[in-house]
Amino acid sequence: MKSKCFKVFAAMCVAALAAGMMAGDPASAREKKDPDTLVVANVYDAKTLDPYATNDVASSGAMLHIYNRLVTLNDKNEVVGDLAESFEQLDDLTYRFVLKKGVKFHNGEELKASDVVFSLKRALAPTSGAVKHIVGAIDLESIVAVDDYTVEVKTLFPFSAFLPSMTHMGGGAILNEKAVTEAGDNYGMNPVGTGPFKLVEWKRGDKIVMERFDGYFGDKPAFKNLIIRAIPEGTNRTIELESGNVDIAYQITTNDVARVEANKNLKLLRLIDNSTAYLGFNCEKAPFDDVRVRQAITMALPVPAIMKAVLRGVGAPAVGPIAPNVKYSNKGLEAMPYDVEKAKALLAEAGYPNGFKTAIWTNDRKVRIDIATVAQNQLKKIGVDVEIQVLEWGAFLEGLTQKKHDMFIVGWTCQTPDPDMAVYAPFHSSMKGNNNFTFFGDDEIDQLLEKGRLIADGPERQDVYYRIQDILRERGPWVFLYNDEQVVGTQDYVKGFVPSPFGFHALYNVTFDAN
Amino acid sequence: MFKYIFKRALMLVPVLIGVTFIVFTMLYITPGDPARMVLGEQAPQESVDQLRQDMGLNDPFLVQFGRYVYKAVFHGDIGRSYITKRPVVQEILAAFPVTLKLSAMAMIIAMVIGIPCGIVSAIKQYSLFDNLVTIFAMIGISMPVFWLGILLILLFSVRLGWVPPSGFDSFSTMILPAVTLGAQSIAIITRMTRSSMLEVVRQDYIRTVRAKGQKERIVIWKHALGNALIPVVTISGIQFGILLGGAVLTELIFSIPGVGRLMVESIKMRDFPVVQGGVLFIAVAFCVVNLLVDLIYAWLDPRIKAQYVS
Repeated sequence: MKSKCFKVFAAMCVAALAAGMMAGDPASAREKKDPDTLVVANVYDAKTLDPYATNDVASSGAMLHIYNRLVTLNDKNEVVGDLAESFEQLDDLTYRFVLKKGVKFHNGEELKASDVVFSLKRALAPTSGAVKHIVGAIDLESIVAVDDYTVEVKTLFPFSAFLPSMTHMGGGAILNEKAVTEAGDNYGMNPVGTGPFKLVEWKRGDKIVMERFDGYFGDKPAFKNLIIRAIPEGTNRTIELESGNVDIAYQITTNDVARVEANKNLKLLRLIDNSTAYLGFNCEKAPFDDVRVRQAITMALPVPAIMKAVLRGVGAPAVGPIAPNVKYSNKGLEAMPYDVEKAKALLAEAGYPNGFKTAIWTNDRKVRIDIATVAQNQLKKIGVDVEIQVLEWGAFLEGLTQKKHDMFIVGWTCQTPDPDMAVYAPFHSSMKGNNNFTFFGDDEIDQLLEKGRLIADGPERQDVYYRIQDILRERGPWVFLYNDEQVVGTQDYVKGFVPSPFGFHALYNVTFDAN
Repeated sequence: MFKYIFKRALMLVPVLIGVTFIVFTMLYITPGDPARMVLGEQAPQESVDQLRQDMGLNDPFLVQFGRYVYKAVFHGDIGRSYITKRPVVQEILAAFPVTLKLSAMAMIIAMVIGIPCGIVSAIKQYSLFDNLVTIFAMIGISMPVFWLGILLILLFSVRLGWVPPSGFDSFSTMILPAVTLGAQSIAIITRMTRSSMLEVVRQDYIRTVRAKGQKERIVIWKHALGNALIPVVTISGIQFGILLGGAVLTELIFSIPGVGRLMVESIKMRDFPVVQGGVLFIAVAFCVVNLLVDLIYAWLDPRIKAQYVS
């Protein structure tokens, strides 16, 4: 009895192990299982589907398929009409939008100017703080419906980034007044838009299921069902992609890039996005209130080499505050010079010949901790003794707001294609403690940032933003670390998918290759 | 008996008030502003301040706590999620069936494997089988859940392609998470059954039964097992309670939308009402499981039942 039991057990173990070792690569040529359904693996689930209540990437990615905006961006990052048939700037402050006729919401209501007025006013309401930084330039009192299909809006000041800001997924989304009023507090779970898909089911933390909206005014998607799953584990997203359970997987981790590339059934798409990770200084706290100390630390860090070691080929070393896919990013900039001797001399000149003790704060993202660790080693060379403090995200943000930090590593994402969004909030002195966590204040920068908002696009505006980039490199409130990269894996049969530098991607253009 | 159950249910009240107070205090002193987390790091400070005011977060601690308890007791309202604006009860009830299913499957696997292994180990003490079971039990207790989960995914999903690596909507997707979650319980139940059984089979009444010439099978199944199972029931109950509240890692690894994951996400987002509600819910579930265990005791052992009745 004993030996029989043991034999059966041993045989089972051996069989499982052998099967494990002998099983080949599960990847073999495959076809799309269900040609009417697109399944996407995202990292996080949406927080809410009320566009003004959040500004996170996962929610925006889902809402992109449910809502439309008055204007949107074309392939060349130019502002073009979406719900607006036409739009024009009447004077420095006033914009007129003429709506397309016959556009239907998912609840059957027709889009009218009153919905636009309602939406913009709701976006400006105190309860819609998540998009306030996007729509804050609109004068609330000025929003009027001229007739059923015409809306006029004034900005509080001449604002050349107004139209690009209206392409923002959250701030620019147009809602149906009746649907919002009827749903009340539950609107975030019961969204009604004019987009190509309508919400069918949302299993929180698991998946969002959408269905093609047959009354959509634009080109209808080629597939009927869209499922966006939340799979936080990076390895699992790749495995789901490899096993054919999902058609597209976002944020393929660095460890899995080679595996996806090597798989003949899969494609890997990569695009440098609009985020810039940086090492910031608290510019109002000694010794970082001295520009020479900031310059010395910048010079002591060989950023391209650090990024090569830490990022292992994903993302790109940043050279300035404006990410490469944002308008007026100066493509001619080079990496900041690495010069330990000069850094020591600058520190001595600033009164710290023997260096000093300080701390780098970061949240628990591994890449940032790795960067802090390498920086800690590098800065020893100039006598700067760094302690690394890893904080939980909420505590980290709160500490930054309260100016308790020395140095910190964090990122900033430009959520519109206009450079104003990339540099105004993090560097204008009026934004100290808000998004300007370095507490950097510089009269020249303030004036240039304000000027950049006022003048129309053209060579003069380009000069303003080039100058801003030069000054920020020189006065060093940030050590520019890297621009992140969108790394998306898709099945080979997926066509028409183009990653977006904003981090959330349009799926309605996807088709399946019928091979 | 009903009187006893009623008494036990009444004892839940101070437990829940205590749990609520501790969780409320811990969240209150946790750094990180819920309003900031809701609006995102790019939202202007005045919007954040406004939202804090609307959420009642500027009120003193005792006012906030009092309001929470008052609403919970008199209106059955434990708040709405800051993020989704849905009632917390609805959020938890959407996630709980998933966790319950997962924990129940894990527990069934643990008992079906653990108890027989423990019994055979005890009967055949120091045999090869006993030694093997001991080794596997040690591995099961020591192996971290996240590591075991990933190993299982690698073998059964990636190499063999037998089951999907994530999700929780069909039987095949439930197997790996249930085994992962249950592994530690299998080990614990096996060890407990073995030691409890060893203790029982050495007692005088078993010797007497054997001396009377009773068949070994009957000695074990009829006379020994009943008594040996009492501590096993305790430990299984505790394990089940732990699984209900502690399936966080398994739910994260396998992308399962259960209570554990809801709690982690809510803590990250500073969605305080959901965290408070979730902890309360887990506390209630734990107490109910404990009560059930006590009732099973009474059923297994007439002496305990007699105590209740008196």
